Parts: sequence; C-alpha cells; structure tokens
Amino acid sequence: MTASLLVQSAVIGLSIGSIYILMALGLTLMFGMMHIINFAHGAVYMLGAFVIYYVFFQGGAPYFAAFVGAMLLLGIFGYLVERGIYRPIKGGIEPTLVALLALSTFLEAAGYPVFGQLDKHVPPVFAGTRNVLGVMLSNERLVIIPIAAALVAGLYLFITKTKIGAAMRAIEQDKEAAALQGVNVHVINGLAFAIGFALAAASGALIAPIFKLDPMMGDQPLLKAFIIIILGGLGSIPGAILGGLILGLIDSTVATALGAEPAFLLSFVFIILLLLFRPTGLFGHAPP
Amino acid sequence: MRRRKIAPLVASAVGVLLALLLPQIGSDYYLYLFALVFTNVVLAASLRPSLTCGQLNIGHSGFMSIGAYTSALLAKNLGFPFEISLLCGALLAAIVALAIGYPALRLRGVYFAMVTVAFVEVIRLVAQIWVPLTHGMSGLSGIPKPSILGMTLTTKTSQYYLALFLMLAILLVLWKLESSRLGLIWKSIGMADNLAQSLGVNIAKHKLLAFAIGCFFAGVAGAFYAHFIRFLFPPEFGFLMATNILVYNFVGGRGHFAGPIVGAIFLSLLSEPFRGSPYETIFFSIAMLMTILFLPGGLITLPAKLGGLMWRRRASAPSPVA
Amino acid sequence: MPLLEGRNLSKHFGGLAAVNGLDLTVETGEIVGLIGPNGAGKTTCFNLLSGFLRPTSGSVGFAGEDITGRRPHQIVACGLVRTFQLATLFQELTALENVLLGLHLHSRMGLRQVLFSRRVFPPDEVSLSHEVLEFTGLASHADQLARNLPHGYQRVLGIAMALAARPRLLLLDEPVTGMNLSESAQVMSLIKKIRDGGTTILLVEHNMKAVMGTCDRIVVLNFGRKLAEGTPAVVSTSAEVIEAYLGAGLHHA
Repeated sequence: MTASLLVQSAVIGLSIGSIYILMALGLTLMFGMMHIINFAHGAVYMLGAFVIYYVFFQGGAPYFAAFVGAMLLLGIFGYLVERGIYRPIKGGIEPTLVALLALSTFLEAAGYPVFGQLDKHVPPVFAGTRNVLGVMLSNERLVIIPIAAALVAGLYLFITKTKIGAAMRAIEQDKEAAALQGVNVHVINGLAFAIGFALAAASGALIAPIFKLDPMMGDQPLLKAFIIIILGGLGSIPGAILGGLILGLIDSTVATALGAEPAFLLSFVFIILLLLFRPTGLFGHAPP
Repeated sequence: MRRRKIAPLVASAVGVLLALLLPQIGSDYYLYLFALVFTNVVLAASLRPSLTCGQLNIGHSGFMSIGAYTSALLAKNLGFPFEISLLCGALLAAIVALAIGYPALRLRGVYFAMVTVAFVEVIRLVAQIWVPLTHGMSGLSGIPKPSILGMTLTTKTSQYYLALFLMLAILLVLWKLESSRLGLIWKSIGMADNLAQSLGVNIAKHKLLAFAIGCFFAGVAGAFYAHFIRFLFPPEFGFLMATNILVYNFVGGRGHFAGPIVGAIFLSLLSEPFRGSPYETIFFSIAMLMTILFLPGGLITLPAKLGGLMWRRRASAPSPVA
Repeated sequence: MPLLEGRNLSKHFGGLAAVNGLDLTVETGEIVGLIGPNGAGKTTCFNLLSGFLRPTSGSVGFAGEDITGRRPHQIVACGLVRTFQLATLFQELTALENVLLGLHLHSRMGLRQVLFSRRVFPPDEVSLSHEVLEFTGLASHADQLARNLPHGYQRVLGIAMALAARPRLLLLDEPVTGMNLSESAQVMSLIKKIRDGGTTILLVEHNMKAVMGTCDRIVVLNFGRKLAEGTPAVVSTSAEVIEAYLGAGLHHA
C-alpha cells in the first residue's frame, strides 16, 4: 500500500466512520436508557436518505433545509414510535425488540411500492474534489466529517450541559430513582427515541449523494452500528465514537485489501469473540 | 379441565387428517406450499426450547443453513444417501451449537442475542465467500432429490409426505421433551434462573441442551429444504429469516407448545398470496406489530380471550401442573 | 468440626475488595447472624459461600468437604441452600406450585427418568409440599399466585422453597427486611422452628432487634473484614461495632 493510498483509505475511513458513529450514537443512547436495541435504526437511515431524495433532489429545496427537515421529521417519528410502540409494551425487552424488528421490516418492505422498484440516485451536493495531503478526495466525502463532528459535539453538549441531558443520564443510571426525582421518564425516553432517529436520519441524509438509494440500504449500516456499539461498549457514547472511528478505518483498509465481504466476516467474528470475552467492550457498563 | 384438553386435541387431529388428505384435494402448488409451511413449523418449534429457557436466539436460520449446505454437499459431491446426509447436516448443526453455545450461553439477555445475530451473519458470509465449496452468490444447484432407502422421492406428493412425516416426528419429540421433567426444568430456568440454580438446577448444562436440541432440528429442517428446493442461496438464511422464526414464536404465543406451530402456519399462509411482492412482507410485519401490541400472549391466547375466563391464566402462564 | 467454614475469603472486583480475608465458621445447630453497615460485604459473602461468586482467594468448606469454586447447583446438592434478598419466586405459579417445583427440581433423577417421566407430580411430593406450607404458615395461601401474595408472605415462600430442598444449612438473605414488627417476629420464630428441626442457619440482616433476639452468635462485617464476633450481648456492647454503625443501626426496631 502506497502512502497516498493509505491516506486516501484513512480519510475515507474517517468519512465512513463518521456515518457509522452517528448511527451508533443513537443506538447506544437508546440502549443505555432503555436497554433495547433499536432494530429499526437501519430503516430510519434509509428514510433519511429518501427524504433528501424527494425534498432536495425532486423538490428543489436547499440541501441543508432538506437535511434539517429529515432530522426533524424522523425525530418526530421517533417520538411517536416511543409513544405508540415502546410505551404500550411496558418495557418488556423481548417484545420491544420484536416490535422494532416488525417496524423495520414494514418500513423496508413498504419502501418498494412507495418509492418504486428502481434504485435512485441523488446528485452530489458538494461537487468536485480537493487535494488533501497529496491525494485527491471527493468533497462530498470530506464534508461529512465536519458535519458529523458538529452533530456529535452537539449531542455531547446536550447530554452534559442541558437539564434534559442530565435527566437522560439519570435514567440511564437508575430509572426508578430518576422518576422519584421528578423526571418524566416517558417523555425523556421519547426524546431519546427522537434524538436517536434524528441522528440515524442525518447519517442517511449525508450518505444520500454518495451511494445509491434503495429500501434495504439500511441493513448493512445497522449491522455495522451493532458492531460499533459492542466494540465501544453498550451504552457508552465515547465508546461509540471511538468504535466508529476504528471500524471506519478497518473497513476502508481491510476492505480494500481483502474485499468487502471478508472484512465484514472478520468484524463479525471479532464481535463474537469480544462478546464472549469482554462483553463490556472498551467503555461499556458491566453486564447485569 | 376435561373440556379444555379436548378442544386442542380435536383440533390437532383434524389438522393432521387434513394434512394427510391434502394430496387428494389440492394441486401440486398446495403440496409445495405446505411442505414449506411444515418446514417453517419445525423451525419455529425447534426455537422454542431456547426461548423457554429465556435465551433470545436470533440466529436460528444459521443452523438451518449449516444443515442445508452440509446435507446438500454430502449428497451432491460425495453421493451420500439422503438419510445419512440429513443426519450429518443436523449433527453438524448441533455440534456447532454446542461449540458456540458453551461460552455464549453464559451471557444474559441482549448480549446473547447480539452473539446470535453476529453468528448468523458469519455463517451467511462464510457461505458467500467460500465459493469453491458453496458456489457463493451464484447459488448451489443440482442438489439431489430426497430418497428413502435408496428410492428417490420424485413426486411432489411423496416429498410432501416426507415433510409431513418429519414435522410430526419432530413435533412429537419436542412435545415429549417439553412435557417431561426436562421441559419443567427449562421452564423454571426461563422464569427465574437464579432461583432454579439455588434449587439445584445446573442451568449451564440445561441451557446448552435446549440450545443444541433446537439447533439439531433446525439442521434437519435445513437439510430437507435443501433437497426439496434443490437450490441454496446464502442470503436466504440470513438475519431476516432468523427474525421470521422468532416472530413465528412471538406471534403464535410463547406460553404454549402450540404457539410456534400456530404462528408459523398463520404467518406463512398469510404471506403466501403476496409471495414475491413486497406486500408479503408488509402484511407480515403489520401482523407482527398488531399481535405484539394487542395480543401479547400471542395468537394462542385468542380462543381464551374470546371464550371463557379460566383459560386466561392457563393459556398465558407456563403451568407445570399437568 | 464446623459445618460451614470460610477460610481467608477474599473477593476483589477490579481494585475494590468487597470481602477481604474473612474467616467465618458456623457450627451445626447454630443460628448465626451476619450484620454490618451497608456495603460491608454481607451479600458478597453470601454469594461466595453459595457458589454464585468465585472467591479471588481463600476457601469454603462444608461438612468437611472443600466446596470452593463449585457451582451453585452442586453446592445445593451438598445441602447448602440459600434464599434471595428480593422475592425471587416463580411469580406466575401458585404458592403450592412454587414449593412443588422447589422439591421437584431438587430431587435427582437419572436421564431416562427425566426424558420419559410424565409431568404429573407424584402424590408424595404434593403432600410433602403441603407439609412445608403448613410448617411455614402459608397453608391458607397455597392456591394463590406468588405475585399476588403480600410482600411478607412472598419472603416466607422463598424460605419454604429453600426448605423443600432439604438443606443441612440454610443461608437466609435478609429474611425480614421491610417487614413490620409482628411480621418479623413471626418469621424469626419460624427460623427458630427450622433450626429446632435440625437445620443450621446463617442469616444476613439489618433488623437489629430480630437479629439480637434470635441468633446464638453474631458476626459483624465492615469493609469486607470481620469487625467483631460473639453473642448478641457481647456484640451489642462492643465499642467498635457501635462506632461502625455510628450508633444509628442499633436503634433500629
């Protein structure tokens, strides 16, 4: 591998990693608070991308407006899912997992009649390339990094500096104690869903100009996000960030060397080993 | 008490009778359809022991895949007779289950579920990558038809009866296990495993047993499927199918042995008119969601909810008193 | 020879020593109480003795055998049975079914019997379960669902199930915590009855009055170590013990 190829891989890895991080953050937030894995995350990612397609590409709206719109729309959807699906199930973990699976299956299947059978493409928003450290890289991929970083920073500030963020951290530590302190657990859970969905939508929106769109496009990112949150530790936000970076880098370097499928296989085997020997991952909380 | 036991018994008897008579009433299409439904029933019912022990397994289709490919390859490449290749496929599935279950079953809840998800993807990717053996994404074709004692089962009717026979035999074994002391131990582990442990139950051994037995039968289902459809394509056995199997159990009802049977039959048939179109999956997923939200005990509790009162507790709680 | 002996037991979680070099003995026929402020290591100690946790160092002996590192179900088979702090019961079953299951799970059967037995409980198991319920005062609640039982009765049911496992030594984890005066008095007299029937008892409790009134001997833990040991009279007047509790605990009713 030449130096320039390495740099290219690293930057692309960082770029893809940023997408994974956004997905993983939502997942890990929801796990930390409610101990559920949101299997519908991939579908939301897909929907975020399609919002960009319809609002930005077909509708002619400015990209950032569509981007924010996607996050808002799917954030509201997330809140409604908490209200309509998570809450009525009264927190049983297994029925919740299955219900979210059902939601995911529904959204992906409904995508075909609604969006049509053909793959869709969104033209690049930030056209052109740029010279980074002697390597030519697409602007589209590059711009993902600062946007994702801004979102991550925003989330971090939200969690650590706002009252709602504090409430979330309280629920994560001890749901009953938080409730006794006056925290409206239902509403805060709903917000967690909303934030998680919004972040997934953001990843989809960012990826829309790069990859082709189809209703099943969320499956792989979902699985990758799983890998990240296990690597980083279920429930840990710094873990999700670090895990996302690591996976992004591994993905771009190993995948280029060995091929996408073997890289995927290796990461799954790695995950199994990790779960068996160190389920807490890098930063996670101890398993019950 | 007497009346409660008769209805399901009669229903089962009628069901079996209809199944036996199907070749007389239905066309080859129906035989094909129901053979697949029976396969789904076996898959769903064989997941139940693990679920009873409280282990959420979203990787069952991976073991089906192992059974399918093993049996297919042994029969196609090495000329093994069907009975032997089926047995080998199921045994390998069970062995792999033991190997991965031994460390993995120590994990609780979500962590175990994640291992199963990763596992099913590993199996799928191995099948996709190991092209010389499995033909990867081109699919493995030319799998021999099933045979009994050397006689090839060429007609759809004979294959249908094979599926029916296998399903009934497997259901009988699973029923015997569940209604024995072993099943009681499994239920106690699922209800409160710490408590079971403190009462003398070796939960590690029993969880592993439930897991391995279930995976063995998943292997049988896979082997049958391979020789019936005669074409194997790795993504078929992925995460989606694994979740389907789980859903058959949830929608049918986790509190009763007949739950996965009812769930598998209902959902397989429900999606059939829409087979191939996305509407199949749409209806499937809506059925899933509706059942989880409005009928948490599963379809099996429907007669109870519509009927009398005393059934309510019995139908949804695993009661050990026969 | 003591029935139960913990020798130099330690359990470290990362850098924290929850139990540190603890020596603990229980003689046959005694009722021993294990007390200490919150976080003293009592529950960890219990988990070590019953096999739910593996000691980092030290050993556990029961009836002369070294049971260190054995799994919980093996330890139960030797006759050392524990209860749990939270009402860990088979919530969806009746009180009778809970005890029946306790009896049933404990009885050992060969593989053949396991696979081919029918799931109807033999009448002798049923009558034995009724006896256990009688003995523990739950006879009138036999057909009530465990989760519908009042909290106090749930705890007693936990004890009843442990009894069904025919223990030589019973580890009771906070048997009367959260109960009122009369309830706890009833349970403590049940515990004495159990001891008089031949079962040795080691219990963990916060309720001082109950402990002082029932135990033959008390062991006080603090920071994972043994702070004091002796009869209730000795321990309740020990300066170190009073200091460890800062006087608050000893005034609990």
